Amino acid sequence: MRLFEFEGSRVFHREGIPIPDYALVSSPREARHKAEEIGLPVVIKAQVLTGGRGLVGGVQVAETLDQAEEVAQRILGSVVRGLPVYQVMVAKKVPVEREFYLGVTVDGYHGVPVVILSTAGGVSIEETARDKPELVVSRQVPITAGLNLTEAEKMAQEAGLGGEELIRVAATLHTLYRVFRKYDLLVAEINPLVRTRQGNYLALDAKVEIDDSSLYRHPELQLSQENRISNPLERKGKQIGITYVDLDGDIGIVASGAGLGMATMDIISRRFRPANFLETGGAITADLLYQVMELVLQKKGLKAVFINLYGGINPIHEGAKGIVHYLQEHRTNIPIVARAFGNRQEETWQILQEGGVRVVTEVSTEKGVEQLARLLKGER
Amino acid sequence: MSILLDRETRVVVQGITGRVGRAQTKWMLEYGTNIVAGVTPGKGGEEVEGIPVYDTVAEAVAERRAEASVFFVPPAAVKDAARETIESGIGLMVIVTEHVPIHDVMELKAYATDKGARLLGPTSPGIITPGQSKIGIMPGNMFRAGRIGVISRSGTLCYEICADLAEAGLGQSTAVGMGADPVVFTNMPELIELFDQDPETDLVVIVGEVGGTQEENASRFIAQRMTKPVVAYIAGHHVPEGKRMGHAGAIIQGGMGTAQSKSAALKQVGVEVAEYPLEVVELVRRRLIPH
Repeated sequence: MRLFEFEGSRVFHREGIPIPDYALVSSPREARHKAEEIGLPVVIKAQVLTGGRGLVGGVQVAETLDQAEEVAQRILGSVVRGLPVYQVMVAKKVPVEREFYLGVTVDGYHGVPVVILSTAGGVSIEETARDKPELVVSRQVPITAGLNLTEAEKMAQEAGLGGEELIRVAATLHTLYRVFRKYDLLVAEINPLVRTRQGNYLALDAKVEIDDSSLYRHPELQLSQENRISNPLERKGKQIGITYVDLDGDIGIVASGAGLGMATMDIISRRFRPANFLETGGAITADLLYQVMELVLQKKGLKAVFINLYGGINPIHEGAKGIVHYLQEHRTNIPIVARAFGNRQEETWQILQEGGVRVVTEVSTEKGVEQLARLLKGER
Repeated sequence: MSILLDRETRVVVQGITGRVGRAQTKWMLEYGTNIVAGVTPGKGGEEVEGIPVYDTVAEAVAERRAEASVFFVPPAAVKDAARETIESGIGLMVIVTEHVPIHDVMELKAYATDKGARLLGPTSPGIITPGQSKIGIMPGNMFRAGRIGVISRSGTLCYEICADLAEAGLGQSTAVGMGADPVVFTNMPELIELFDQDPETDLVVIVGEVGGTQEENASRFIAQRMTKPVVAYIAGHHVPEGKRMGHAGAIIQGGMGTAQSKSAALKQVGVEVAEYPLEVVELVRRRLIPH
């Protein structure tokens, strides 16, 4: 789960990485008030879960209190890269002498943390790595040993830093690694870390992503689910514990696994356009599939729904009961085609057929999609 | 013997007394898996489907000579349970559990590598050597015995493609679900190498998906070392960038890890790459030297 900048900054602050004075506000009046408290000039930053806010007007400077109010007015309620802005951060603007990039992430293939340091701060690290790889220093960290301070200092030296700068940047990198480990993060990025004219080192942004599977052991972060997902269907999917991705076609998809769901999209996209991606995960129950049907049929303008299931952890007939139960309670004219395989599949087919679902018993999703096409052409 | 697993392999089921553990134990036994013990701390002395349950893996190893393990253990308990299992001398473990914390996986991967244990998963559907044995949750009726090795990142798609192959008379030597998480214990090249060395495998099918760099690393290995033909399908040609498609591993970021780029990397090293699952069957037929 990606954290909002203010949440990430709060973590940094708590763990001893200095950040400029800031406040989180949701109205222009509050923005003015806080700008006065913090002291001008200030930077007003849209709190949205996307990068590149600055390029599209999501980050703006205010030199006066009137400006602070105006800018906040403009940004609040606007849409930044497709995401509505409910809150802005009002942060003290600091005079910057030099910018750095510091990051820790997971090397998925090798299964180890990677720390990255660059003297090209403020721009995307992918760009720097592509255009000026000599400015990027990175290391895989053996997870049992961790990143020690000496190693961080060596990296800073390699990046061309010396003296006080070397010591301070290395110390921040060392802390960032500790934060990454402590909070089960997938990404911990400070871009930029700046040296101010007064010689302070401050994190001007916080890009933090926590592992969803570890959220249970971090109640101290007090992360709320609110405002994280703007699409209502995708939000509903998250609530019932499945993945729903809204797309712009008209064939609804239900699949019992991510790989199968993506393959189903590939096959359907050869003739039609998917309305969504939906995958239930392996643990199908009647109750879950009832909710899944409710969700997938909420999308407007559907021509058909294609259900593609394999039983894994649970027997597959349970899911079929949920589908049919929903259809009995909510009549729909939208044709529904289903494939279902695994333990107790014959029983499953019977349940679905009796519930008015077109069942495909042939192996291969392609064959199922052919039947869907025939059905849509009005053939039986 | 195919790879990793055959009818002789002595299996212990961890978390055997849970609802899922019980059901899966029954299905594995029906398939022919040689389950010799179960483990659930505090439930030692009980029986599940006639299989003796022990409190610790060490007992299961000492008394029943268990040599492979399958995990139906809750995510928060996986790290400690797996360490205990590795310490007990079990050499092969399938972690079926979903949602294991990624930092736990990284720690465990380092530990397993150090001790020389082979783990599959997390979020692995398991391993099946059709007609002999399966450890995991794969529905056995989707597979048939033969000479094709299958390596899949996805569980459900592995079933689909193996069923397509089986329908065409093309059985599998072994099918392995690597697990779908961003970090998995055993990477794709290691499994390709096992199939390459297996005299009962003629061809390897790779079932990949968007996200990560497994397929890119696999293509490097194939270029350097692989002696057998390889066919692949990468799911997710129509996946939008920046959206997680279910499990955390399946995401395209910064234009990296797309189905197109992975397919291209594999094609470049001589792999036949299908654009949709059923095409795998045609490509396998084309590449297979008849026996």
